[in-house]
Amino acid sequence: MTVMARSMRKTTLREIRHTLGRYMAILAIIALGVGFFAGVRDTTPAMVNMMDKFFTEKNFYDYRIISTSGWDEESVEEFAAQPQVLMAEGSFSFDASYYVSSRSIDETVLKTHMLPQKINDIEVLEGTLPEKPDECAVEQGKGYKIGEKIRLNDSNDPETLDMLNEREFTVTALVISPYYINREKGTTSIGNGTLDGFIYLPESAFDSEFYSEVFVCFDSDYLMYSEEYNSFIENKKDEWEKIAEEIALKHHNKIIAEAEAELSDAKTEFENSIAEGQAELDKSAKELADGKKKLESTKKQLDAAKADIDMLEAYIGSTSPDFKEAKANYENGLAEYEEALAEFEKGEAEYNKGLAEFEEKSAEGKKDIAEAEKKIADMDNPSVYLFDRNTNIGYALFENDSEIVEQVAKVFPIFFILVAALVCMTTMSRMVEEQRTQIGVLKAIGYSEASIMGKFMFYSCSAALIGCIAGFAAGTKLFPSIIWETYKLMYIPIDMPYYFDKELAIIAVIVSILCSAGTTWISCRVELKETAASLMRPKAPKAGKRVLPEYIPFLWNRLKFLHKVSIRNIFRYKGRLFMMVIGIGGCMALLLTGFGIKDSIAGFADTQYNEIQTADSAVFFLDEKYDKIHDLLNEETEDFVMMYHGSWDLLYDNRVKSIDLEAIEDYSNISEFMVFRDNEGNPLSPPQADEALISNSIADRYNVEIGDEITLRDSEMRELQFKVSGVFENHAYNLVYTNLESCKNQLGTDILSNKAFINFREEENHGKQAADINKVSGVISVEQFAKTRDRMAEMMSSLDYIVLLVIACAAALAFIVIYNLTNINITERQREIATIKVLGFFRRETSAYVLRENIALTVMGILAGIALGIPLHSFVMSQIKVDIVDFSTVIFPQSFIYSAVLTLIFNFIVNLFMEIKLERINMAESLKSVD
Amino acid sequence: MPAFVEFKDVKKIYKTGETEIHALNGADFEINKGEFCVIVGASGAGKTTILNILGGMDTLTSGNVILDDKDISKMSKKQLTAYRRYDIGFVFQFYNLVQNLTALENVELASQICREPLNAADVLKQVGLEERMKNFPAQLSGGEQQRVAIARALAKNPKLLLCDEPTGALDYNTGKAVLKLLQDTCRKTGMTVVVITHNSAISAMADRVITVKNGKVSDMRLNDNIVDVADIEW
Repeated sequence: MTVMARSMRKTTLREIRHTLGRYMAILAIIALGVGFFAGVRDTTPAMVNMMDKFFTEKNFYDYRIISTSGWDEESVEEFAAQPQVLMAEGSFSFDASYYVSSRSIDETVLKTHMLPQKINDIEVLEGTLPEKPDECAVEQGKGYKIGEKIRLNDSNDPETLDMLNEREFTVTALVISPYYINREKGTTSIGNGTLDGFIYLPESAFDSEFYSEVFVCFDSDYLMYSEEYNSFIENKKDEWEKIAEEIALKHHNKIIAEAEAELSDAKTEFENSIAEGQAELDKSAKELADGKKKLESTKKQLDAAKADIDMLEAYIGSTSPDFKEAKANYENGLAEYEEALAEFEKGEAEYNKGLAEFEEKSAEGKKDIAEAEKKIADMDNPSVYLFDRNTNIGYALFENDSEIVEQVAKVFPIFFILVAALVCMTTMSRMVEEQRTQIGVLKAIGYSEASIMGKFMFYSCSAALIGCIAGFAAGTKLFPSIIWETYKLMYIPIDMPYYFDKELAIIAVIVSILCSAGTTWISCRVELKETAASLMRPKAPKAGKRVLPEYIPFLWNRLKFLHKVSIRNIFRYKGRLFMMVIGIGGCMALLLTGFGIKDSIAGFADTQYNEIQTADSAVFFLDEKYDKIHDLLNEETEDFVMMYHGSWDLLYDNRVKSIDLEAIEDYSNISEFMVFRDNEGNPLSPPQADEALISNSIADRYNVEIGDEITLRDSEMRELQFKVSGVFENHAYNLVYTNLESCKNQLGTDILSNKAFINFREEENHGKQAADINKVSGVISVEQFAKTRDRMAEMMSSLDYIVLLVIACAAALAFIVIYNLTNINITERQREIATIKVLGFFRRETSAYVLRENIALTVMGILAGIALGIPLHSFVMSQIKVDIVDFSTVIFPQSFIYSAVLTLIFNFIVNLFMEIKLERINMAESLKSVD
Repeated sequence: MPAFVEFKDVKKIYKTGETEIHALNGADFEINKGEFCVIVGASGAGKTTILNILGGMDTLTSGNVILDDKDISKMSKKQLTAYRRYDIGFVFQFYNLVQNLTALENVELASQICREPLNAADVLKQVGLEERMKNFPAQLSGGEQQRVAIARALAKNPKLLLCDEPTGALDYNTGKAVLKLLQDTCRKTGMTVVVITHNSAISAMADRVITVKNGKVSDMRLNDNIVDVADIEW
């Protein structure tokens, strides 16, 4: 390196040392901008990668396959043998009600799982995995302790009780499971309808020869939620449905074959035993007949003997000894006979009983056999269900939750970067202006424009690069962990590893270099064009000018002298005015948006389910069971309203949008279930014939207005047309309400309701009632709105933290911007300030002289921020889409106040700093020449 | 009659790290009321330090500075500000006008903080800028700007008018005109005027000449042969 270049480098480094404050301002603003940008951008992938790693480690399933006839070891092996299958595992699970007497929990519904071998492996956080049939593992963080006893409730179905060998289980491990990453476990048809948790039992605890489900893991390393993964699974679906059916059928046939074999064995045995029985009976019948014959001959002999005795009595008298002997003999014989007769009769009765028994038994056996035969004959081919990961509630919720961050991430960082660029721009412009003479000197000495530019480039770019690296490191480290920390309240407590996104890092570097180098180039360009001589001459100070307010004498003349000065100063430096108003306005807009998001999401669930959808529950059922359900609801609920519910496509602009059509049977009582009101809160009247009410989300997104005709089409290409009679406030789902009559008339067929809004009786447990209704056949599902509301509110509460983070960052940004701009303002006016100090302005007067402008500019910035913040907020809200949720885009009045007060507080704090700086301005500055 | 301005063994030591710089090393001088005084010296001799101390812009290390029986060496920061505000009028080498204010407003900027200010317009008339009162500094020539600066200092009705190289940034003729204005002001209003300059030729027009060298007053004399500005050449 040449000597010249070295001295250039020296002056640059010295420049940095001497103007460390300014250097740090660039560094800080870039760090903040990049930190926010990278941090927010990094969060979603960091979360997804973290979970993906956990899932991979635990062999999270790709398919869960269920067959109505179950699976056996062979089926599992067959699944495992399919191409691309990494592993397959049979398992067993069912919902059961338990109680924990040690903590007086009377009922908790747990999904009872077989301890996994590999797939959906659980992680033990405390204790050791259960081994004995009366040991179990349960969810950590639910208050369970090692050694605690959990007992099955006797109220469980007998079949459920039969599935387990034991009734009581001792907790040996507290675990987390990939199968349940969210606190939400789903619904169940027992207890109060909510699944409270899970319990893992060793295989030996189960009394079942078959598996209820098979989990399959494919040999793929696609990232969860990724397009690649989804299409990979989607493409497998048809093929796998077939495979699963085949395997299920094989298993089914095996069961039938086994059953048939068993049956024929039983038949043979039965026939044998019948034959045996018959033979025995025959034998005893013969014996009876023999006995009878014998008895009859004995009777005959006895009768003959009687006659002999009678005759003897006549001849020899009743007192002769012979007669006496003969009579005694006879009476003995008679007694013997009667005894034998009694025995015979007993035997005969026994025989008859045995015969009846035999006949009954053989009839029974025949019936049993017939039944078993019928059962085998009736055994339908099994139904097979293929579930992918999306049916796992934790998996689905996590996707939603992690996406929210990404959606917030879309707009905000751009704004941060823009403000950062603005700050760089003003700072570098100021620096170039200050160094005018030096640039002239360097030019005069013979430095090229490029090398002079290089100095400024080095200054700004080095600051930007350091800032970028610091910001990137801090942002990508802090943001994901902080956000995950808040999510952990709802998810399993796993640690978030640092996630480095190379692409993001490159973008961050490019953006910060563009930001710094670009603005430096713009600032330098003009000055460098000037000749050395003109550069070395002091730049003519900006001429004073009359400003607009002066031409309104009525106002102008009333102002105090110093206020006039301030006003003129404000308008004189248009560039500064602009920067300050845009900078402060930008921060104000960010703050306002942050608070506004909070406002918009905070109450939406409450509004939706407390004010609009006021029914307790919605029941979906099969329309063919209409009458049955109608009766059931009549009996079980306080009141209800029936409707047809269907998914229809709204046709617009040659495109279609899926909406939910609800055709209510009778609107007379609807206000008990659903409040139709427009966005201003005015009640709407029910739709008349061929009219419909549409939710505001449809009106907004597809530009539908009151009075418009809308066309709906279903999958069978049937069409419905309605005139929109009103737009109602609604925040979840896209809904169209009409009346059932209109649909029937338009379609020309009878339509039966398949959904009902219900209100439970107050005094009864709603959860229990919902579960009871859910159990009834024909009922598809029961949605409890209170639960939906709580879940949504919970989801939104995590968004709260993100918004807080945004607000904190916006606040930091606001602070830096105000500091930097005020700092520049004061540096620029050092001479003027020194002069007024020499003139004898007291400290407070001096501050007021400068800072009055600052406050005025801040106030203007706040106003600009409000003007900018409202559309920014709407834009951000339009970007944040949580499935089918439609947030009301509102900013509460207090949010305006908070944002403004925060901005003013920053201004105040900066002003305090600046007063110190003003105090330090040396009056000797006023003696120096302009340079 | 005691002197109006008195410097008694004034020392000013600047400390930068280990090194001490003796800017003033025991300066003694006095100026009487109504005098036109010129302080001359080469650059680095200590005249700016005298100006700073006399103008209440800087404190001294030791010694006493008395103006009109007030010892300014004992004053607090706030008192010094009040001193600058009420007792001193300052004319700068580079005028230091507020660019954003018209000539009149620049004068008002000073006059509106004083107890007994002169009428701003009158003072401007007095310095010959009646026609240019509504103009902004950028629209005025260097000499005119310096006149505005003088008017600004005078309007405060100070006890002492301090001028730091008032001709430094002006061309020869304009410089002379400005000096004439200062001298006339002194003569007509009885204002005490102190002009600090490196140009010893100017001392010919002064009542009193103080020469500064190496932080000390090397010579102080009353001028017996006062020359009119027009006759001075340099």
